[in-house]
Amino acid sequence: MVNTEAEPELVRIGSVEKLDFSERERTMPPPESREVVFEVSDLSVRYGDSTALSGVSIKVHKNFVTAFIGPSGCGKSTFIRCFNRMNDLIPTAVVEGRIEYHGQDLYGPRVDPVEVRKRIGMVFQKPNPFPKSIYDNVAFGPRVLGMTDNLDEQVEKALGQAALWDEVKDRLKANALGLSGGQQQRLCIARCLAVEPDVLLMDEPASALDPIATTRIEDLMHELKRDYSIVIVTHNMQQAARIADMTAFFSVRVEDEGKKRHGVLVEYDTTPKIFTHPSDKRTEDYVTGRFG
Amino acid sequence: MRVSLQEELDQLEAAVQEEGELVLRALRGALGALERQDVELADEVIAFDDEVDDSYLAVEEGIQSLLARQTPVAVDLRTVLALLHVNLHLERMADYCVTVAKLTKLVAGIPHDETLAEAFDEMGARAEEMIRVSLDSLASRDMERAESLVDLDELIDRANRRAVKQVIAIGGDEERREWGLRMIVVSRCLERIGDHAVDIGEQTAFLVSGEFREFTDASH
Repeated sequence: MVNTEAEPELVRIGSVEKLDFSERERTMPPPESREVVFEVSDLSVRYGDSTALSGVSIKVHKNFVTAFIGPSGCGKSTFIRCFNRMNDLIPTAVVEGRIEYHGQDLYGPRVDPVEVRKRIGMVFQKPNPFPKSIYDNVAFGPRVLGMTDNLDEQVEKALGQAALWDEVKDRLKANALGLSGGQQQRLCIARCLAVEPDVLLMDEPASALDPIATTRIEDLMHELKRDYSIVIVTHNMQQAARIADMTAFFSVRVEDEGKKRHGVLVEYDTTPKIFTHPSDKRTEDYVTGRFG
Repeated sequence: MRVSLQEELDQLEAAVQEEGELVLRALRGALGALERQDVELADEVIAFDDEVDDSYLAVEEGIQSLLARQTPVAVDLRTVLALLHVNLHLERMADYCVTVAKLTKLVAGIPHDETLAEAFDEMGARAEEMIRVSLDSLASRDMERAESLVDLDELIDRANRRAVKQVIAIGGDEERREWGLRMIVVSRCLERIGDHAVDIGEQTAFLVSGEFREFTDASH
């Protein structure tokens, strides 16, 4: 029965779920819950008397792709090499300031650089497989570290993670140098992954590769960041824009009428911010191609 | 310095400014035709819209091509996005001019009520000024001037409301009523041109500041 006394029910337009097209920012954990892998405070690097980089402070987060961009000589490669103490291998290099890795001083007196490089793997610009079989390349790290239980499984897992397994599973004994450039680079990534690192450092990992192989490496980084934290140096700004969650822009500071030049960190922010509305004019000039 | 990108951006922006000049010509034509009940001029205004549409399409294609080839970022990206919107706003303004011209033709031969002439005079002048301010503030990246469009828009809105009241007051005679109803649409078109000018101002503010915000909130 209709109750004519009742108030007519108001028809409401209702609320609408807010749209958000920025997938990258949506999938990013909020700042307060991001776990810090590296905390760098006031870092400077000198080679003898010459300063390469000074006053860098930055936090690198877990399961992020963090990109370092900047013109030649800005110290971005020097900087990434600090994260696994590669600069220790250069006799004149002096690293000042502090890098904490999960809260522990990376350059502390009791830290073993070999252990550091096991946890923090590195991939270089030019693929550098050993002149050995595909299998032996991947098995190299685990063998050196005595991780030889289930070696076949470890090799398969690493090759799978590097998206190379399907292409090489029938020729594991073949020489790695017979692979294409892009395959060799993925093999080098697999070689890093085989020792189950925590962080992957990549110094221009795709600059020697053709566009298709580059896309595969970029896709791979997107997959790998679920399990690893990735730090990449790239001179390809669009690559940083495509793959990085956070981007740091380094520039060259010129002093003493051009006699002294060293790298400085200009701006570090989310990648969309860096490429749509950077805070610093120098970043704007660089990403728009007006400088460098 | 990416010379070709900067040149292309400059060309696109110049094309948008020229399109703005075309819209101003269309508006002046539409207002003149309305005032003098000049059906011939109204036809010219309607045909002239093809010029605006051609310009609109050329800019649209230019932007598409630039995005595909140059992958602009930062201020370049904001410029392209702002021009994309401004281009559409200008095209819509020209369409309103066409509507005014078509209505002018429809009321030709119907008795007019002179009381509205003054209101349209004022609204036309204000709409023209707003287009001018929106284009100038875009060219000079002048956020303050762009924001001044809000106050100008308030004036055109008031004139629109007055015109509607005047039409309601006509009453009586059927033919004059038809004329009045059609003139409400004319008034509305001029008012909408003002709204689009404000939207262009918002694009200028986005281009300068990097943050998009509406100058006025329709819910307030």
